[in-house]
Amino acid sequence: MTDWSAMTDAEFRKEVRQFFEAEYPEELRHLPHRPKFAEIEHWHRKLHAKGWVAPAWPAEFGGMGLNAAKLLIFYEEQQRWGVNRGRDMGVQMVGPLIIKFGTQEQKDYWLPRILSCEDIWCQGYSEPGAGSDLANLRTRAEIDGDDFVINGQKIWTTMAHDATHIFMLVRTDPDAPKKQQGISFLLAPMDQPGVEVRTITTLSGETEFCEVFFDNARTPRENLVGELNKGWTMAKALLSFERIFIGSPSLAQNALGQLESFARGRGAFDDPVFRDRFAQAALDVEDHAALYARFADQLKRGETLGADVSMLKIWVTECFQRITELMIEAAGPDGGSIGPLQVGNVSVDVLASFYKARPTTIYGGSNEIQRNILSKAVLGLPG
Amino acid sequence: MTQTDILSSEQEDLRLLRESARTLFERAGGSDRARKLRDARGGFDAEMVRELAEAGVFGVAVPEDQGGLGMGLAAGGVIAEEVGRVIAPEPVVSTIGLSLGLLRRLCPDHPKMAQLIGGEISLAVAWQERGPDGAPADATCRYADGKLTGGKAWVVGAIGSHGFLVVAEQDDGPVLVLAEADAQGLVIDKQTQADGSSLGELSFSGTPAAELASSGAVLTALAEAVADATALAAAELVGLSERAFEITLDYIKTREQFDKPIGSFQVIQHRAVDLNVMCEVAQAGVREALAQMDSETDPKVRAPIASRAKARAVTAAKKITRDAIQLHGAVGYTDEFDIGLYLNRALVLSAWLGDDAYHRRIWFEAREAEGAAQ
Ligand SMILES: Cc1cc2nc3c(=O)[nH]c(=O)nc-3n(C[C@H](O)[C@H](O)[C@H](O)COP(=O)(O)OP(=O)(O)OC[C@H]3O[C@@H](n4cnc5c(N)ncnc54)[C@H](O)[C@@H]3O)c2cc1C
Repeated sequence: MTDWSAMTDAEFRKEVRQFFEAEYPEELRHLPHRPKFAEIEHWHRKLHAKGWVAPAWPAEFGGMGLNAAKLLIFYEEQQRWGVNRGRDMGVQMVGPLIIKFGTQEQKDYWLPRILSCEDIWCQGYSEPGAGSDLANLRTRAEIDGDDFVINGQKIWTTMAHDATHIFMLVRTDPDAPKKQQGISFLLAPMDQPGVEVRTITTLSGETEFCEVFFDNARTPRENLVGELNKGWTMAKALLSFERIFIGSPSLAQNALGQLESFARGRGAFDDPVFRDRFAQAALDVEDHAALYARFADQLKRGETLGADVSMLKIWVTECFQRITELMIEAAGPDGGSIGPLQVGNVSVDVLASFYKARPTTIYGGSNEIQRNILSKAVLGLPG
Repeated sequence: MTQTDILSSEQEDLRLLRESARTLFERAGGSDRARKLRDARGGFDAEMVRELAEAGVFGVAVPEDQGGLGMGLAAGGVIAEEVGRVIAPEPVVSTIGLSLGLLRRLCPDHPKMAQLIGGEISLAVAWQERGPDGAPADATCRYADGKLTGGKAWVVGAIGSHGFLVVAEQDDGPVLVLAEADAQGLVIDKQTQADGSSLGELSFSGTPAAELASSGAVLTALAEAVADATALAAAELVGLSERAFEITLDYIKTREQFDKPIGSFQVIQHRAVDLNVMCEVAQAGVREALAQMDSETDPKVRAPIASRAKARAVTAAKKITRDAIQLHGAVGYTDEFDIGLYLNRALVLSAWLGDDAYHRRIWFEAREAEGAAQ
């Protein structure tokens, strides 16, 4: 196993870059849509063989065990080369939770399967009545012999139609005095009669997310992670990790690169107004990266992140949106056109980027909710 | 009649026109109709075109002595707003502004005029060209010996049109010609747009076409027609923005989170107010611009007025439709909810004939030029 910490950051960057450039399939670069697993399976196999599926996980669980600085480099290089994140909900979300709260058996069983993508995960938190107000969730799980029996509905479940398992928040004690109490964290297989998945078409015509219906679906009791009725606290613990991930500069950096080559090819930089707006966007990304590094350092020192990490997500998602809006501007009369636009030898799918940027201010805790958090928890404003 | 009487009777005309256009579109199915046509990839509805023609829609800005209603661009704007409200896919603005705008200025006696006004045919105007870098470029499409050679890009309404009004170059200057849709050597490439409509990229190789007009008058008329269409597109965006705002307002009143309607959160309330103000400013600005264009004859003055209208309308429509998605949350990102249709249509109308940044530049340049001339 490689000891990455023995390497300088520059050496590490070089190694990662070389691997991506040499091994990543050309046809998968800068994919404009979320791929199904089959589409990226050959790449995943390579990554798995190399042991690079989970850069953030500790080495003992099959991860790369990277520190925050090297992790940042890894993601930067990934974005720079347009390497698809793959079906990473297992690696990014459920894996860290199992590592932190799971039993030894759960770790031994689930973690290798996440790495190999034998299991492909989707996230079942949101429900029709539980979006921003997640604690309002109603999907029930009741103990019945050795199983939990699940009834209810999840919605907006990204790629559920291509997942084998769902990790979910369910209500296990409907009589708890507070909404946040009585919620548990469960793992469940999707391939069973009690689970029905219906895809939802997005406004750009993609099928990315789904409704998932549970009608007496079952999952073994040992698939409860952490304590019964303590799921909310665990999910929250995961949130700060999720927020630094979601607040990373990568999406905006990638979009900025595309904007630059597109705008240059189209001659948009001849216009001083456009130049100014590009420079603004570029500096927004650069300075955000500086702020991000500050939080990353905190992680590196082993500190836990506070509520203030929300500012990363607010800044970078809104910046990402502005960048894609500039792409549309640079496209001029092609600004309403679906599909890749050719400029010289590059092609940029302007609207795909635009559409991808829209929901980033909605999911992962909407930006309004993040602002509520910052104003109360960080600025100490009353209310 | 006093001046005020005339003014208010004109406004009464526009009010009646708005009512009848709204009734017509609502009876036909409102925005559901747009969704159905998009899903059927049917382009637009020929029956609807005839109904609109019967109501006098296409000839609204054509002078009475040329077979129209002679109500001016202001009336065209009223109709365009109603088109925008229900995101109707019919080529209303492009017909009133571009095809009839060109013909009525260059060859008002041509039989196609009456056919266009009567909704029997539609003609698409092909005037822009794509350069090697993909951006708009100077015209190089040639017309000689009755035949066209070259290409045209970003042709609105190309699919389903009966022919093309093509602005081309011949030896002694610009020319407007008519090529039939099934003419020999004409290839039409479709570029699908966010709202399901298409832009045509045309290529001509010795395509037969009939000359309609020539000389410098062609370019003057083109600039005028483009200015008309630009201002009308602004009006369409205003109608679209208003409806998108109404849909959103309804939604935030009814969607509950944290045991209350999300519209009870102050940040949402302020957002809604800002969008509403933006909508009203755009409506006032665009309506005023259209009225001014009706009373101005100097093309140099009319063009920046059109730019003012489009710049405002695009800025408003972009902000309103994008915030509308945000305020809807995830359902706003679905195809099932109408609000996405409005976002997509706004993308297309914003890109057509220049976005807000483009028109602010044009407006400023015209203002500078005027200042220098004085
Ligand atoms: C593309 C996409 C992928 C997703 N993937 C998943 C997934 O895989 N798994 C999953 O579980 N969920 C997923 N989600 C759901 C996501 O987590 C929710 O959309 C999010 O929590 C917001 O909930 P909502 O959509 O119900 O909006 P709502 O909560 O109804 O919010 C509507 C609007 O009101 C605002 N608002 C709500 N409450 C307040 C308040 N108190 N103060 C101020 N403003 C407020 C919101 O910010 C928003 O603008 C996804 C969503 C999207 C768009």
